[in-house]
This record gives sequence, structure tokens and C-alpha cells, in this order.
Amino acid sequence: MSATCEFQAKDYKSDLKPIWCPGCGDYSVVQGIYRALAAIGRPPHEVAFISGIGCSSRIPGYTTAYGFNTVHGRALPIAQGIKLANPDLLVLAAGGDGDGFSIGGGHIAHLIRRNIDITYIVMDNQIYGLTKGQLSPTSQKGRTTCTSPYGSLENPVNPLLYTLAYGAGFVAQASPTDLAGMAAIIEEAIRYPGFAFVNVQSPCVTYGEEAQQIKGLKAISASLKELGHDPADRLAAMDLAQHYGEKMHLGVFYRNPEPPPTYDALIRERQVQLSQGALPKERILDLFIKK
Amino acid sequence: MRKDLVFGMAGSGGDGIVSAGDSLLQAASAEGYHGVMTKSFGSQIRGGESSCRVRISTDHVLNPGGNLDVAVALNWEDFLKFGAELPVAGTTVVIYEAATGVPENQIPLVGVTPLQVIAVPIAAMAKEHAGTERAKNTVVLGLIAGWFGIGGEAVMKGISKKLAKKSMELVEANQKAFDAGVTFAKEHPLKADMTVVPSASKGKVKLLTDGNDMCAAAAIFAGCQFFGGYPITPSTEIMQFFTNHVWKYGGAVLQAEDEIAGIGSAVGASFAGKKAMTATSGPGLSLKSEMMGLASIAELPLVIVDVQRGGPSTGLPTKTEQSDLFAAAFSAHGDVIRPVLAPTSVADTFRTTVEAFNIAEYYQTPVIILSDQEIASRKETLDPIDTSQFKILNRLQPSGADLQDYKRFKQTESHISPISHPGMQGGTYLASGIEHVESGAPTNSGSVHQRMNDKRIKKLDPLKERKDLFEITGNPDAPLALVAWGSVAGVCREALQMAQAEGLDVKLMVPYLLYPVAEQTYTDFFASVQKGLVVEQSHLAQTFKVLRMHLDLPKGLQSLARSGANPFLPGEIVAALHHLLSELQRSHEGKLQPQE
Repeated sequence: MSATCEFQAKDYKSDLKPIWCPGCGDYSVVQGIYRALAAIGRPPHEVAFISGIGCSSRIPGYTTAYGFNTVHGRALPIAQGIKLANPDLLVLAAGGDGDGFSIGGGHIAHLIRRNIDITYIVMDNQIYGLTKGQLSPTSQKGRTTCTSPYGSLENPVNPLLYTLAYGAGFVAQASPTDLAGMAAIIEEAIRYPGFAFVNVQSPCVTYGEEAQQIKGLKAISASLKELGHDPADRLAAMDLAQHYGEKMHLGVFYRNPEPPPTYDALIRERQVQLSQGALPKERILDLFIKK
Repeated sequence: MRKDLVFGMAGSGGDGIVSAGDSLLQAASAEGYHGVMTKSFGSQIRGGESSCRVRISTDHVLNPGGNLDVAVALNWEDFLKFGAELPVAGTTVVIYEAATGVPENQIPLVGVTPLQVIAVPIAAMAKEHAGTERAKNTVVLGLIAGWFGIGGEAVMKGISKKLAKKSMELVEANQKAFDAGVTFAKEHPLKADMTVVPSASKGKVKLLTDGNDMCAAAAIFAGCQFFGGYPITPSTEIMQFFTNHVWKYGGAVLQAEDEIAGIGSAVGASFAGKKAMTATSGPGLSLKSEMMGLASIAELPLVIVDVQRGGPSTGLPTKTEQSDLFAAAFSAHGDVIRPVLAPTSVADTFRTTVEAFNIAEYYQTPVIILSDQEIASRKETLDPIDTSQFKILNRLQPSGADLQDYKRFKQTESHISPISHPGMQGGTYLASGIEHVESGAPTNSGSVHQRMNDKRIKKLDPLKERKDLFEITGNPDAPLALVAWGSVAGVCREALQMAQAEGLDVKLMVPYLLYPVAEQTYTDFFASVQKGLVVEQSHLAQTFKVLRMHLDLPKGLQSLARSGANPFLPGEIVAALHHLLSELQRSHEGKLQPQE
């Protein structure tokens, strides 16, 4: 780990011009990430930023970090390999609601239970934007889209309850309705030593419903801090998380007050312990000698 | 006296037939013999049929052998389930459990008259001398020591070492069971002397291991520091080896949540700058194929092992087959070439695995190792391998000058671009599954796509010039030829020796590089060939078809192909060669006639 020095938000901004629609919530998310990284101060080359596929998954390319825009739903498996291969890196993963809770929905539970020190940001817009407006795993029941012309028959996934239930040590929600708040939440998530999940209600201006645009979101938003929520209280967090879809609670739902050791730290310990007195790898075949 | 003996033994799970095979092979190895042991099971974990073949020889063993010299049946029902895997012939001595009640002249093997058939009260002897029928396998080892002169002290030494941890009483009981077997054999001598001549290499250091362990050890030797995978028969032992050892070398292993996350984490580790590997079998390879495409376009080194089993789907999960060649070579979206390598034995699994890492790292590409169940789980005695003879290649790192204006996918003469990794200052870039320009920035341009496809495909061209990835034996101008890879190659090597001894002019090609197809190497090999066989364990004859797709094959080249779990025997290949030769002679006579 190199010594931290002064970095500004612009140091994390790449020359690539985002191709998101004008007014897309993801513009604010990338700004929030620049600010959070600058506050933390790790140089861009020590940051690995991994995404899946979707509009939001374009995001690593707009930073000066090492980026990896992978395949649909698989940001987390790849991110965990990076972190385990080099625990010194600051590893961020990001993607959309389809990426995280539909095609790649099986992975998040396992990263949570392993407690790998990765921050996962989901830009949740309740729709598939890149493929032009199909039903997503977080779309409200009854919603009409081009793949649900008579209305959706499915209940949405609740990303907050899902991650809380699996035991994530850090679960928060943010929104472009409060950019400074979002930057602070992302920063706190990155600083949390363990798996951290941030759900960002990021409106899709092209295929999103009226109620999910900035104005509509503002109308249902409530600050967890102002509500007096104690982020150490996991059950209270789960209670509040049940209102996903009706209310937009912003802030930290849960932060484990006593973070357990991370998987990557435990791996380090094991490597140090077991490397004592090991055969040099040039002699590894000696393991097969039968006398 | 004999220089080479093939034992085949079958019983129910729990009879300890496989551990008897293990003891026999270990003892033979301690006595300086070369040997191979293969195991075959039903797909039940407990209580199903299980069998092993052990081949012991004074010389290097090329394959698990053809017809059995010695067949041991603890019960006939289980023995018969293995069919062609345990072939009994007129040269076989059959030993079986007398308690089956089957008279010696009525054993249920149709159409064969074995050399000798002996019913032995194995269970009763175990009960009488060791106090438990569980010592049946030790009685069998005593019989083998008595009749064939293998094992003797070394067997009991091994068994004692294993059992001493439990109790000394067990050791004594087993010694009695063993001695009873030896005594029975002495009192009932065989018609023919089948004892094995003492080995000249007694006392020399030998290695004893299987293909999966060898593959994992070779990977660690090659510098692999990350393994991500998911359990699947018959590849799981590779991951198990990593979980035991990779930590000692600063590496990590992840038993992932699924096959996709297994390869995904390995892709991530490779992106992070570490040599990485995953292993699976056919069904898992299907699940991993999207990630292999990602590794190809992002030009990330990665080694993927596919230990083939009978397919499709769960197929024959515990038996060997060579039917994933199409999947390995072609299960890709887009225009992509992934090198595919195949070992032919436990010994050359070391070399093949090191080579796979070298190719993956040097060319920045995923590489598939196509092993198979037989090689993966068979145990082989090997001469020590001098690891200092093996060169280890690493990925091309960017120079200081490269990092001044770093372009990850820079066009170069070799089409290989220096690769940075997270943590390297000045090397940041965007890796992606989307087409990209030299810097890594995404593009939709058709002309860039054309150029980048060209780069990714052409960088692998030099592989096709690698003559050392092909083994060619026999007279280079021979009119008869065999082509075989993987575990079938060992059968063909022996067939070649037998055919040559019978005066046939024949040669053999064993490719270690299956894909891309080295057209020129094959064309040169086939130049003299008028008749030949591509021998493979694939119902569809996948190898034959892949070759035909890439080059004009000699008209007389035929396919000898069948489904897995129906092993080829060296003798049948020699017979097929004789048949080809007679066809060839007839056609020559036919051609000559009009001129006369």
C-alpha cells in the first residue's frame, strides 16, 4: 500500500465522454465515486473498478482507475478474484439491477457470506435501459414494459432486504437527489472493512416511469439519520428496508459495529503461516516420491 | 516368467478392491517395477460396483494394457458390469470368490475359455484368519504375491504402515490374511509360470501419482497463484491439491459458488497480474464458455482444464471419453482461437501443464488442457522429473517507455502487447468484453474490429510451427499411419511397437497441440500415408472431423472411433492395421493388372 497523498475528484475522471442519456442518474453516481475516491486518497492505479453489462456498467471507463467492463452479471465473481489475488487493491464493483439481481443474482449472497472487502454499487433504475425498456428484477408488480405489455405478474426483488438478510456488514442507499450525501455514503462503504453494498436509486430518463424520476424520488425520500435510525441496529434496518419501492430511505441502513475479519485478510494469514518451511516450488514433485 | 502383467479386479464398493490395487501398485513400485493403475466405478458413491486395473512391468508402461492376464472377481455381478473395461481372454487366469457357488467350468463369461479358472474361498479365509470378511482384499494380495511374485514383503509393509495408526491387532490380523493367501497359492500352483522377473531398477527413486495431482503440482511449479473452481467429477482433485498446497507459495484458491464464478475469479486474478487456473469437466466447460470469450477479447492469460468424461450432460460421469474436442475448440461466440493441449499420460501431464501456462502467459490467451478421466485418475509410477529442464515464461510487462503513453492493446509486430496490471503506476486501462481500440476505449468500428480480430488470431500463428508439440514415431516414409491423442495415444504407442515387431511399416502421430490445427505438420506427416487410422474415444469421431475440416486428408485415412468406457486394446489396433495393409496390397494388385 503506497502512502496516501492529495487527490482531487478530477484525478479520477477519465477522458472518455459518457454515452449515457442526458439527465441519466448515473452521471451523479460517477461524480459521487470521484469525490469518494478523492476523499480516501488512494492513487487511481491502486483502484480496480469492475462492472458487468448494462448502461451503468460503462462506469469504470469513465474513471482513471484500472477498469474491467466484463460480462453480464459477473462483476462480483471477477472482482473477488482480483481482491484475492491482490488484497492491497481497492476493489469497487458496480452494475445495474438486472446485472446484480437477475442474471448475476446468485453471486452477491456468496460474496456477502465470504465477507470479501469489496464495495458493490448497484445503480437501480427498475428497468433494462441498454436493451430498451424490458422488465427488470426490481420493476414494480403490474408495471407495463415492452416485455410485460399486460402488466408484470412478478413481485420485485428487494435489494436492501436481500443483502441485509444474507448478513452484509454494510448496507446503504443513496440517490442523485442528494449528491453530497451519495459521495459520503460511497466513501463510508469503501472505508468499511468488508463487503459493502450501496443501492443507488438512479432514474432512467428514457424508459423510467414518471414516479421514478428525480422529482418523484424526492417526494418519497427520507433521511435515515433524520429518522433517528441507529445503523448498528440490524433488525431496525430490516424493518425500514421493507419499505423499498414505497419510500426511498437514504443513508446507512446497517453498519456492523464490530466488523469481523475479512476473507482476504484471513487468506493473508494462512499464506504466511503455511509458507514456513514449504518445499521450494522447483521441488514440488518430491511430494510424489515413494520410497 | 513374465515381464508384464495386467491385473483386473472387481467387487462391490466396500470390498476394498481399489485400495488393494493401490497397495499392489505401491508395493510393485517399491520393488522397482513400473506400473499404472486405473480405477472405474459405478456412479454410486457407496455400495456400487468398483474395479481397478493394475499393470506391472519391468519396462515403462504405456497404457493400462489390453486383455487381462489376471482377473479377480469378488462377485460375478459386479465384475460383469465392467464389460470391455475388464476383458478376459484365453490367456487370462481367472480367480474368483468360491462363495459365489459358481462351478469353475461354468463361470459366466460367454465365448472365452480362460487359461485357468480358480475358485478361492476368499471371504471364508479372511474370516478364519483375520476374524473379519473385511480382510478379503488382503487375502487377494496374498494370492497375488504367492502366484505372481509381486508384493510380498512390500505389500505388508505398506499395509502395516497404514493400519498401525489404527491398531496393532489390525496389522496382525491382516498379516494372517495375507499369509493365508500366499499359502493357498503355494498349495495350488498355476499351470503356467506367471511370476514376474525381478526388476533391474529396484531401489531407484520413483514418483507415484495421478494425472490430477500432477496437473495441479505442475501448475504451481509454473507459477500459478490462483485457482478458482467448482467441484465436478473427475476434475475435483485438482482443486483439492491447490487447497492443500497453493497457500505455501503465496497463492490462493477459491471454491466458488458455481462454475461461472470459478472461472470468473480466475479471470479476475489474471487481470490482477497473477497466473490463474480453473478446472472442470464437460458440463462445466459449457458454463464457462462465455468467460473464455471474455478472456480472449481482453487478452488475459488463463489455463482451463477439462477432464473429459462421458457426455452429454451427466453422461458417464465416472468414465473416460474424448468427446469434448468440439466444445474445447469451438464452444465460443465470435471469431476466436483458443489453444487446446492434451496430455497423454501422468508423466507428460507435467510438461503439458507447464506448456499451457507458458502459452497462456506468452500469448495472453486462455488455453484449454483437455485431459481425460483415465489420465486424471490413473496412478502411474514415474521416473523423477528434472524440473530445471523446464523454462517458465511470463507475460510481457510494459517498459518504462511503454508506460509513458500506455496503450494496452498496442499493435506490435508479434501482435502481442505489453500487459500492465492493477497496482502498476502508469498502466491503468479499461479491460473489456466490448471491442476496443489500442488504448482499451470501447468502439463500434467495423474496421477496428477487423484489425483487432486479426491481432488476436494472428498472434497464435507461431504455435502451429511448434514441432515439439507433436510426437512422431516409426518410419517417416511409412505407408501406414496411426493418429491418436490423450489416453488413447498410450494404446497406440504399444500398438505401434507390436505392429513393428510383426513387420508392419507404420508410423504414429501423437499431437499434444490439438487446436489450432497445425495444417503443415499434418500434411507433412500424411505425405507418405496411403492407409491409416485416427483412433479416438468419441462416437462422432470429433478428431477425424476437425482434421478433415482443416486439411485434405489422404483418401485411405479412416476413423476408428467409439464411445467412452469401451477402451481400445493394442491388439485390435494391430489387427486393424493388418487389415488396412491387405486392402492396400489388393488395391495395388488391382491397379497393376491392366498393365500386365
